[in-house]
Amino acid sequence: MPSAKAPARRVSTYKIVQTVLGILFAGYLLWRLYVVFIGNPAYGSDTWARFIISGVILGSVYALIAIGYTLVYGILRMINFAHGDIMMIGAFGGYFVFEALKAIPAPTLTDPKFTFSDAHPIIAVLLAFIVGSSIAALSGFFLEKIAYRPLRGAPRLVPLISAIGASIFLENAGQLLFGTQRRDYANPLILTRGDGWNLPIGGATVILPYTGVLTLVVSILLMVGLYLLVMRTRLGRSMRAVAENKQVAALMGIDVDGIISRTFIISGALAGAAGVMWGIHLGLVYYYVGFLPGIKAFTAAVLGGIGSVPGAMLGGLFLGLVESLGPAILGISFQLKDVIAFAILVLVLIFRPTGIVGEVLTEEKV
Amino acid sequence: MRKQIKLSLNAGITFGIITIFLFLVGFTSTVADILAELFHNKAATSLLGLTPQMLNMLIFLGLVGLWAGAFGSRKEKSRSDDPWGVAVLDSLITGLVHGLLVCGLVLLVGTLDLRGVRMNVYLAQVLPAAVKLFLLGKAPLAGGLFYIVFMLATGFLGGLFSRGIGRGSWRRRSAAAWKNTWESFNRLSFVTQVRGNPITRYVIYGLLLLLVFLVPLGAGQYWNYTIGTVGIYVLLGLGLNIVVGLAGLLDLGYVAFFAIGAYTMALLTAPAPHHLLWSFWIVLPVGVVLAAITGLLLGTPVLRMRGDYLAIVTLGFGEIIRILSKSDDLTAFTGGPKGVTAVGGPTLFGKPFNSAIDYVYLIFLAVLLVIFVTNRLQNSRVGRAWEAMREDETVSRAMGINTLTQKLLAFAIGAAFAGLGGAIFASRNQFTGPDDFSLMVSINVVAVVIVGGMGNIPGVIAGALVLKGLPEVLRQLQDYRVLVFGALLVAMMLWRPAGIIPSSRRKMESNKDTGVTETPKEGREG
Repeated sequence: MPSAKAPARRVSTYKIVQTVLGILFAGYLLWRLYVVFIGNPAYGSDTWARFIISGVILGSVYALIAIGYTLVYGILRMINFAHGDIMMIGAFGGYFVFEALKAIPAPTLTDPKFTFSDAHPIIAVLLAFIVGSSIAALSGFFLEKIAYRPLRGAPRLVPLISAIGASIFLENAGQLLFGTQRRDYANPLILTRGDGWNLPIGGATVILPYTGVLTLVVSILLMVGLYLLVMRTRLGRSMRAVAENKQVAALMGIDVDGIISRTFIISGALAGAAGVMWGIHLGLVYYYVGFLPGIKAFTAAVLGGIGSVPGAMLGGLFLGLVESLGPAILGISFQLKDVIAFAILVLVLIFRPTGIVGEVLTEEKV
Repeated sequence: MRKQIKLSLNAGITFGIITIFLFLVGFTSTVADILAELFHNKAATSLLGLTPQMLNMLIFLGLVGLWAGAFGSRKEKSRSDDPWGVAVLDSLITGLVHGLLVCGLVLLVGTLDLRGVRMNVYLAQVLPAAVKLFLLGKAPLAGGLFYIVFMLATGFLGGLFSRGIGRGSWRRRSAAAWKNTWESFNRLSFVTQVRGNPITRYVIYGLLLLLVFLVPLGAGQYWNYTIGTVGIYVLLGLGLNIVVGLAGLLDLGYVAFFAIGAYTMALLTAPAPHHLLWSFWIVLPVGVVLAAITGLLLGTPVLRMRGDYLAIVTLGFGEIIRILSKSDDLTAFTGGPKGVTAVGGPTLFGKPFNSAIDYVYLIFLAVLLVIFVTNRLQNSRVGRAWEAMREDETVSRAMGINTLTQKLLAFAIGAAFAGLGGAIFASRNQFTGPDDFSLMVSINVVAVVIVGGMGNIPGVIAGALVLKGLPEVLRQLQDYRVLVFGALLVAMMLWRPAGIIPSSRRKMESNKDTGVTETPKEGREG
């Protein structure tokens, strides 16, 4: 029967094109890997170590933001477009804590310029994380309450546009409140950016920055905490139930709206912590700081399989590594590293829309 | 009773936060300047020790206070009895809370200012002058107390007003009278005849067209430039309207096609970097076709996805195009970060286009063409297929629509319109560069389509006028434009998801109570 065959053949041509493109791309990648590592090595092992260090650190920040996307997507099946801007709010929260603590003098005999945050770096950093996370969590809560909750049950485009609007609003509120200039994060003296342990690799010393280690440790702690929260606690169980099926969850006596609120609070807190890390490690915060990390973290979430928490963590680390290693491997300029992230997003969505560890999505959900 | 009090408390806190936010973003000072220009009272003598600027600001804050009072004393839905005392109490509570919050802000800001802290290092808009203005030149404590009294009074008045207006019977009566007049006017035989006649419509269209063609003659260079910009946004909006409004595919990278049209025009007509110097009239269709082809190429892989994935992927494409055009690697081909200068313009019957007014007419022609094409498409089989697809893809596929082909068609046609807009844009500005193609352009166009009314030609034109025209009229509000954009998008989605002028088909579909279109049932979500 020709009428039955026609659609089947069309799908297979698409598959063929997909496979051919995939093989071409993989071949190109292998060739580049050969050129870079064996044929004509341009960088020594110390440079690669530097790339990997910065990639892992960046990746852990992406992973934290990506978890926020994944949690919200898992429950509401919507992209929280304003998530990156929540991160910006958190980054500014931490910035103001450091500025305030820097204003308190704590002079010692050796150094009269010593300030409170230099004298008690642990308290300062903890306070920055707590304040940044809480402000971000609060904004996440209000964001959901104002811009998303009234739209429950509307067509999917409607909350998405509302999210875009909220993102624009937050970004420009940030611009009007804090101005356009980039601000330096006033780290405690011990966490001065650029300082770190010197590791001898390949005949040169590679710096393992203190700020980077702090970022990595904090994000691993937060991720483990979140995993335990989702898998072991009552709240986590309710969240999973709501993600599975809202109506049945409501029938089981779960307060669906309350759980959604809490999900936004948790994802906001993680984004806020990521913002503070961004500030401590990379140093500059400004109103637009959340945009690119937000988009990239979304890429990471898709890469790992949106809706899956471990997937978001893996995807974040993978994206961070690819971003720092990619330009060197592909032999393109570092200006184009943002293109790599977007290209990966497109490639993943074409070849494996379920991501690395994603659940099998029905077409209805994609 | 307790619920009423909670409601008014909430209203007070909300308005308190709004007022504080308005101060922090510097809106209070801006609005004082705008009102001064409006009333021409900049040079007027001071009253009660207040400068005219302070009075203007107080007028604005008074309006906010009135609104707060009216909002706080609104009737709870479930209440059947409606005593005066409750409304008064509610408005007083709202006013008090509002005033207390503002008082707190005044005390904080005032003391910091007295101690010589330069707040604008951290909060860009909190300049010493703005603080002085907000404190009315008084000491912090006096200013704070003043605001408590002021907000209480305005809140109380607002409550009285809302009690008189919102709950009074005169509103119903006047509405009924208006409706009666309107109906009897409609029943006049002359009116029904004119209305039913298709000639009326053509006459109205003709008059509108004539008006539109006459306006640029009276407008100066600057205004014609603005009209041209609005026109280009109408072009873009109509193009995106096909993609978002009709086919229901959210494209956040629409600027990519605009950029392709503009770069085609620039690279083929400019002396540098390629020195091709083609004629405008040849490049125009080339740009359109190239944009359409790019639309097809981009569309083929991504159109299998739905909704939000598509939005992010197209956003990614838009950014890729911008980053590529900006990168140093491609400077030899695209002109790099500096862009392309001296883009060629059209020549018609030996007359070169060199002023804004020439381009205004060119853009008008393009808009007319696009309106014609859109209109014909919308009412054709293709247009109906798009709308069916937008409402429910699965069902439309069951009805025998090849959704992939239709989506590609929508994508390509939308891209072609953007290419046309981009080509004209580059030629008019005689310049094109990566900064013209930021994500904000895409967002603006989406906003134009959504605010105006998705799937509706007059709606898109209204949207472009409101979003691109109004800010030019209110130049002082320039800084707040994008902020208001964002808030407007959210507000539109909450209260009027179908837009200012909803398309007739959407209106029929939309739910009477909320205006939210009925949801197609979605898998497990239910």
